[in-house]
Formats: sequence, structure tokens, C-alpha cells
Amino acid sequence: MRAAAVSKYVAFARVATALARRDRGELYGRMLFFAVILGVFSSLWRVVAEAGMPIAADPKLLVWYLATTEWIILSAPPVHTDVQESIRRGDVVCRIGRPVSYVGAAFAEALGLLAVRAPLLAATAWACAFAFTGWIPPLAPLAWTLPFGFAGAALITAMCLWIGLLAFWLEDVSPVFWVVQKLLFVFGGLMLPIELYPRAMQVAAAWTPFPAMLAGPASFVLRQSGAGWLTLAVHQAAWGAAAALAVWWAFRRARATLTINGG
Amino acid sequence: MRATPAVVITDLCKAFHVRRPRAGGFAARLQDFVRPHTQTVTAVDRLSFSIAPGERVAFVGPNGAGKSTTLKMLAGILQPDAGEVRVLGLEPSRQRHELAFRVGTVFGQRSQLWYQLPPRDTFALLGRVYEIAAAEHRRRLDALTAAFGLGAILDTPVRQLSLGERMRCEIAASLLHAPRILFLDEPTIGLDVSAKAVIRELLHTESASHGVTLLLTSHDTADIERVCERVIVIHRGRLLWDGAIADLRRRYLTTKRITVWSEAERLDLQLPGVRVLSSDAYRTELEVALDVASVGQVIDAALAQSAVRDLAVEDAPLDAVIRALYAEAEARRSET
Amino acid sequence: MRDKSNNVAFLSALLTTNLKAAAALRGAFVIQVLFMVLNNLTFFVFWWALMRRVPDLRGWRLGDIQVLFGIVAAGFGLTVTLAGGVRHISRFIDDGELDTLLAQPKPVLLHALGLRLQASGFGDMLSGIAFIASSGQVSWRAAPVVLLAIVASALVILACGILFHSLTFWLGNVDTFARQLWELLITFALYPEPLFGGALRLVLFTLLPAGFVGYVPARLAHRPSAALVALTIAAAAAYVLFAVAVFERGLKRYASGSRFGVHG
Repeated sequence: MRAAAVSKYVAFARVATALARRDRGELYGRMLFFAVILGVFSSLWRVVAEAGMPIAADPKLLVWYLATTEWIILSAPPVHTDVQESIRRGDVVCRIGRPVSYVGAAFAEALGLLAVRAPLLAATAWACAFAFTGWIPPLAPLAWTLPFGFAGAALITAMCLWIGLLAFWLEDVSPVFWVVQKLLFVFGGLMLPIELYPRAMQVAAAWTPFPAMLAGPASFVLRQSGAGWLTLAVHQAAWGAAAALAVWWAFRRARATLTINGG
Repeated sequence: MRATPAVVITDLCKAFHVRRPRAGGFAARLQDFVRPHTQTVTAVDRLSFSIAPGERVAFVGPNGAGKSTTLKMLAGILQPDAGEVRVLGLEPSRQRHELAFRVGTVFGQRSQLWYQLPPRDTFALLGRVYEIAAAEHRRRLDALTAAFGLGAILDTPVRQLSLGERMRCEIAASLLHAPRILFLDEPTIGLDVSAKAVIRELLHTESASHGVTLLLTSHDTADIERVCERVIVIHRGRLLWDGAIADLRRRYLTTKRITVWSEAERLDLQLPGVRVLSSDAYRTELEVALDVASVGQVIDAALAQSAVRDLAVEDAPLDAVIRALYAEAEARRSET
Repeated sequence: MRDKSNNVAFLSALLTTNLKAAAALRGAFVIQVLFMVLNNLTFFVFWWALMRRVPDLRGWRLGDIQVLFGIVAAGFGLTVTLAGGVRHISRFIDDGELDTLLAQPKPVLLHALGLRLQASGFGDMLSGIAFIASSGQVSWRAAPVVLLAIVASALVILACGILFHSLTFWLGNVDTFARQLWELLITFALYPEPLFGGALRLVLFTLLPAGFVGYVPARLAHRPSAALVALTIAAAAAYVLFAVAVFERGLKRYASGSRFGVHG
């Protein structure tokens, strides 16, 4: 029974890989955007370095930092739209009796998409960062970013899934996604390491899941060491559990609402 | 004194150069990019006809026959390759702007009504598009609202209207600027039977009472029969038939359809010239080729087998007549 | 004989209809506006945080960034509200919406541009003006010049949108590509030009005129001079005229029927 369930999810993931390959156009666009942003920022950090670095780090490292955070964010597929569509179409209602089935399947599909995008974008990220800085950081810390970065992207995906589930109650979840995405950019330290923010903002960020998604994995590159991996792992696991709980709770509430309303 | 024809087409030609992708992998793709393989598709081949003002003409042909292409050339949307086109005395491709004030179009698959707003707002905008003076606009709108029964729906957002209601508004919108000629491309597509009947009635009445020339394409032969008196059949860009619908039937009417409701469960009628279309319990549908057998013969044969509860004798549907025309044209084509 | 005043009446009717349609969405309209303001604020948090630590970047201070950003945002907002159809031109060409426009007695491009209005554009305009006003770099007396800068920026943005999407006339549906190119234009326009090296700078003043979307109008707002006014107007006019010419050429090609696909 277990093996069958797992193979079912693997099948979903395979479908997703095929889908990802089909959306090549959008992916190539993302890669181009990636290259441009890294180019602009490598220039920016060089100019900042002239004026005096505000942080104890080589400007080249900050480019690699950005490459990593962008990689994580661009890899995460925007599943909230798919989930919303699914709910609107009524697909979900059919599977409402088996919550693990629906949510598990949706997550497996998203992970499949992630599995295709992540390597491609990682290669792009590293190629561009190297092209613009002419330098590669020590491989060990760089290697640390991979599993933690992937986990960060998975966390973002789970969050998007949860946002998608809000479609049970909201007509359009896009505004929620946009706001959360902006919070992720700011408090996740997408373009600026969180250390550069004013104290108050740093404290606020610590209470959100966002640093665990972006800044955490990317900071290995910035600090050029694997130190702090355990703390990050704990944070990611904790937020992962919180995400799972949130998704489960949302689904249960949705089922309750639907049952009351007669499905 | 003969009135100026509403539409005159003389030896109209239009060909498209379509890029046909080569079969194969990457090498083929590269070849396609460097030296594309184009195929010339003749859409309209020396088409000629003329339509008098106030006529209601149906434009019929299988998909790809060149109907939409011809319609677009009449509206000035496409440029002809050769031949002459005159609509209301104007040349559509050169005098498109002037012609647009006198022509209305209804595309069944596309809507000009703004989805979020009530039809009244689209009508207001159209008033500006066609530069209709305010008083005239009000008069036209009132007349159309009365004629099309739009009173109840004029202020309801279009997204809340049924397809039939939307179509009524669509057609009213196309008539707002009092065009002399109306081009309709599949106006009843997707509508249910009663909605179709309403639309057909409205089109016929509007044309008959105001002398608006109608040129309509449709796959629904009932559209053709209820609205128009004349039909132009085209096939592979060539004219197959141009004349009154009644004449078309008479000329090509070589079969009749007989439906027999019998006491016996099944009838076994093997007669030359008789084709069994369907055979259900107690009901048989037959097609009789009138040059071989007669209706009388078939009825006699049926009575010989079983008592007959009911009988229906009908002309072949227009559909079948037109399909026979295509088949004939195809046969001629393969002979040459 | 029909005169130009009828076109003005037509355009204002289009705008009114668009506003009505936007208002019909009520809640969604407000959310779109608010979202855009929030979006722009987030971007700005980056510069604010960075410049708290590094106040001067090759002569650029936070106020300068604010003016640059404000002009591009307001220009973009102006374009997508008054000429929101520009983002959909590829789709109009591809799905035959142009046929409906061609059958009507109004200029096709103007009609197409006016067919849509993007509510978030109001958020862009609001935040753009707020950024400029709070920058401390521009006095109220300079308001007309700032307005000119915003309009010029909007015109170049519009022209590029028309140009990129008009490629569909020749290449088939390039909607995604055109949108991404347009996004790229805005992205480059938002960053101060000292960041860009020689070759790139050449591109940014020709093929992808981010320089005329951001840098030149911002300079104009900051330190107006007759020369800059002339340059700004000339550049905007040149790009618009070119874009219109390309579109009309494409429309002729469309009317000759040379498109991908089979016709019936």
C-alpha cells in the first residue's frame, strides 16, 4: 500500500516534469531576466564598494548571494494559480474526502516542477555570477546552498500551495500572493542581506519564515562557510512543520465549509 | 432605372502563402528558418456575383471554401490579389474608412460588447465610433430596443446575460449606425433552438422593413432557409451555385425521405433506389432516389409487409442537397 | 466631412467606458491600485536600506533615486491606464480582434490602445508622484517640467510596447517575448545609469531606450534646461513616430493576408 502511494506521487511528479519542459518559453525568459539582474547588481555592488562597503564582505560575494536568492525564488513554481484554478473548476470537491490525496498530489506535482527548474536555474545562476564577477567562491559553502536552497524553494512552494487553498474562501488569491511575495522579498533578504536592515526590521524578519527560505541558504555563500547549518536546518524543519499544519488545517476548514454548504 | 447593386464582385482572386513546416528534427527546423517551404493556397478563385440592395443572401461552403476570406475582402479587412470589389459603390480596400460607416458586421465567435458593462454602455461608445449625433442615437436605440425586445436587458452587465440575449444585443449593436448592408459570420452559432428562431426572425424583419442588405454565412441550413431567399454556394474558392433557394431544391431534388411507423417491429425493404437510413423498433427511415423508384412503390412495399400506423414524406433537407453539390464538384475535380 | 474633433470625442468615450468597466470591478480595482503602491514601496525599501549605509553612489543620493523611480513609475502608470491595450496587441493580432477594429471607421492603432485600462496603473501614478514630491530634489515650480518628463517617459514606454508587439505581424505570436522585453526595458530604466558600462549604454539609448524612459526625463526634472527639453521631446516624438510607422506597415501586411496558418 505504501509503495503504491509513493509510486502514485512519483507519477504526478513525472507529469510535472513534462509540463515544465513545455513551459520552456517562460523559463528562458526567467533565465534572461536572471542574467540581466545579476549584471546590473554586479555593477551596483562594485560602485557601492567604491563608496565604502557597508558590510564585511567582498562585493563579488554579494553578487553570488543575489544569484542564490534569485535562484531559490525563481525555481519555486507559482502553484497558487494552479490550485486556485483547480478549486474553481471543482476538481478538488471530488477528492475532498481524501485530503492527503489532493494536497499530497498537488505538492508532488509542484516538487516535480521544482526539480526541473532548480537545476536549470542553478546552472544559469552560477554561469552568470561567474561571468559577471570572474570568480567562483569556495566550493564547499557553495555546495551547502544546494540542499538548503532546495528546501527553501520547497518551503516557498508549500506557502504558495496554502495561498492557493485560500481560493475556497476568496474570489481571487492573487492579491494575497503579491503581498506575501513582497514580504518575502523584503524580509527574506532577496537583494540585501538582512544584516543591512535597521535593527527593528531585522527583529521583525526573525519572526517570519522568510529568512529560512532565502537569506538562510544564501548566507553560506556570503559568510563563505557552512557554519550555522544546524540552526538553519532546525528553522526550516520548524517552518516546514508549520506549513504542513497550515495546509492541513486549511483543507479541513474547506471541507467543513463545503459539507455545510452542501458541496 | 436599375438601382446600384449593393455588392459587385468580378473575378475576385485571393491566394495565401502558407509556411509548411518540414517533417523532421533539428536539421528540418533550421532549414525551415533559413529557407521556409511555402505553399500557395488558393482561397478565392475568380469569384463573381452581384447582390442587389435589400437582398438577403446566404453564403455557404465547407470549411476552407473561402467564405470568411470573401467576407473579409468585402469588409475591407483583406486586400484582394486580383479582381474587382465594389460595396455600395465603394472599393473596400481603398475606401475602408468611408465604407465602415455604412457597413455593419457581426462575427458569431467574437463579441464587441464590453463584458463587465451593460449593453447600453457599449451602445454609447459605438455612438462615438460611428459619430452618431446624440438625438439620432437616442432615436435609433429606442427603435432597436423596441424591435429586439432589449428593454429588460439593456442595463444588465453582459456577463450576466444568456448567449441568446447577448446575440440580440450584438446584432442591435451592429445596426445602431443604420448600415445599408450587414455582414454576418455564423450569427447563430452556439445558440439553442428557440434563441436561433428569435434571431432569424429579427434579421428577416429588420432587413425586410428597412431594406438592409444581408450577407450571411452559416453552417446551419435553417438559418439559410428562414432568413434568406438566395444562396451562393462556394467550394474551393469557386462559385458552385448562385440562385434562389427554391430553385436549388428543385434542381437537385432527386430524393425524398420517407419515415414509416409500422405495426411490425422491423421492415425489410430491399428495393432498387431505396436506401435504409435508420431502422429502429417499429420505425424505419428510408431515402428514395426518385429517378429509380417512386414514393408510391415504397409505400406499397411497406404495406405489403405490415400495417402502417403512420407515414411521413419529406423533401431531402437542404443539407443533403448542398452536400450533393460538393460531392458532384469533387467528382468533377478528380476527373480533370 | 469628418473632422479631428470626432476622434477626440471617440478617445474620451473610450476612456470613459474603460473607467466604467474598471469601476464595475469595485473591490478588485482598489486592490490592484493598492497592490501596485505596495509593490513599488517594496522596491524602494531596498534603496532606502542601502542608502542609509551608503548615502552617495557616484553622485546619486536617495532623492535622485526617488525622482528617477517616480518618473518611470508615473510614466508607466500613465501608459497602462490611457493606452492599456498596448500590452495586448500581440493577442489582438493573433486572435483576429483587429478584424473587428478594421471594420470600424476609427484609426486601428488608437482604437486598439484604448480597448483596455489596467487599474494598477493608477497605483503606479500615485506612488510615482509621491516619490517625486517627497524626494526633496524638485520644487513645486518645476511641476510643468516634471509633467513633461513623465509624459515623455510614458510615450517612449508606449512606443516600445507597440514596437515589440508589432513583431507579431511578421513573426507570429510573440506575446511572451514582447512582454519580457518590455519588462526588461522598465527594469533597466529603474537603475541609475552610472551602473552601466559603455556598450550597454549604447543599447540603452537606442534599441532598448531605457535611457529615454528614465535617465533623460529624470535629468530634465532635476535640472531643466532648454537643451534637455528639446532632447526629451525629440526622443519621445521619434520613437512614437517610428512605432506608429512599424505598426501601420504591419497592418498592411496583415491586410494582405500573409500570416501563419490556414484561412477559410
